[in-house]
Amino acid sequence: MSDTSAVEERPKHLKHYFVDSDQQFEASKMGMWVFLVTEILFFGGLFAAYIVYRAWYPDLYLQASTELDTFWGTVNTAVLIGSSLTVAMAIRSAQLNQIKGLITNLWITIGLACVFMMIKYFEYAHKFHKGILPGEYYTYEGIAHEKANIFFSIYYMMTGLHGIHVIIGIGLMLFLVIKAKKGAFSSGYYTPVEITGLYWHLVDVIWIFLFPLLYLID
Amino acid sequence: MSGHHISSSKFLWGIGSALFFLTFITVAVTWFHIPGPWNVVVAISIASLKAMIVAAFFMNLWWDSKFNSMLFVTAIIFFLLLIGITLLDTLFRNDPVPTF
Repeated sequence: MSDTSAVEERPKHLKHYFVDSDQQFEASKMGMWVFLVTEILFFGGLFAAYIVYRAWYPDLYLQASTELDTFWGTVNTAVLIGSSLTVAMAIRSAQLNQIKGLITNLWITIGLACVFMMIKYFEYAHKFHKGILPGEYYTYEGIAHEKANIFFSIYYMMTGLHGIHVIIGIGLMLFLVIKAKKGAFSSGYYTPVEITGLYWHLVDVIWIFLFPLLYLID
Repeated sequence: MSGHHISSSKFLWGIGSALFFLTFITVAVTWFHIPGPWNVVVAISIASLKAMIVAAFFMNLWWDSKFNSMLFVTAIIFFLLLIGITLLDTLFRNDPVPTF
């Protein structure tokens, strides 16, 4: 009809099909939550496998988890919780228009995520060296249970899928750092920071359950 | 309702400290060798509490649109349904446990 909307001042990030920035922000966030629902059920299948086999072979879990190092598991839990804190601080910085603080907090988060993956790498390497491999490749003889390979198949699937999520998270946060350096974010627009934060917190929540279920059985 | 709740850094550090403390508790309870199945109950309870703290205060569900909380709760309900229905099968089989 008229071209009044064309002259109206609209921020650059605002898509034409949204009324305002708030509506766009809320829609993005809800979309992210729907994705997180699918993520919970994605991991849920693995948790179901864990529970079914634990009900079938309670002794197996007691014996096999002694191969997992509680100390490094605890350190990794603390590292991930610390990274959740820095992501929350990054979002706070973005909300307050402190782009320098945003970038710093993102770098600390990336650093902590890398520490997590390094520890995971050393844990995996140590197990591979001993012949603790998933499924039919399992050759370790230190656990007196014929189904020991099953526990480690579940262990590698759960921690492996979680590890892939951490690596994806590192990629996302590097992307955010690049965007932030280009000046893409401000207190008026930080949607990618917010929804990456949601993703990262979910990865943390998954680990909060994996840690006692895998490492702390005795 | 607004998605722009800004937490103070003191508050965020407080939540982080609570999570660190609960992680310590998670490890500390294993030193007492609580008899099963209570050890699992305690471990899952603490983990659930931690998860709830993260969801409410780091993921901002506390201040957020209730719709997002509903999505989160729905995911948990469907997960419990998955576990429940699966266990109704696997716990009550007459045949021995399969070979795989």
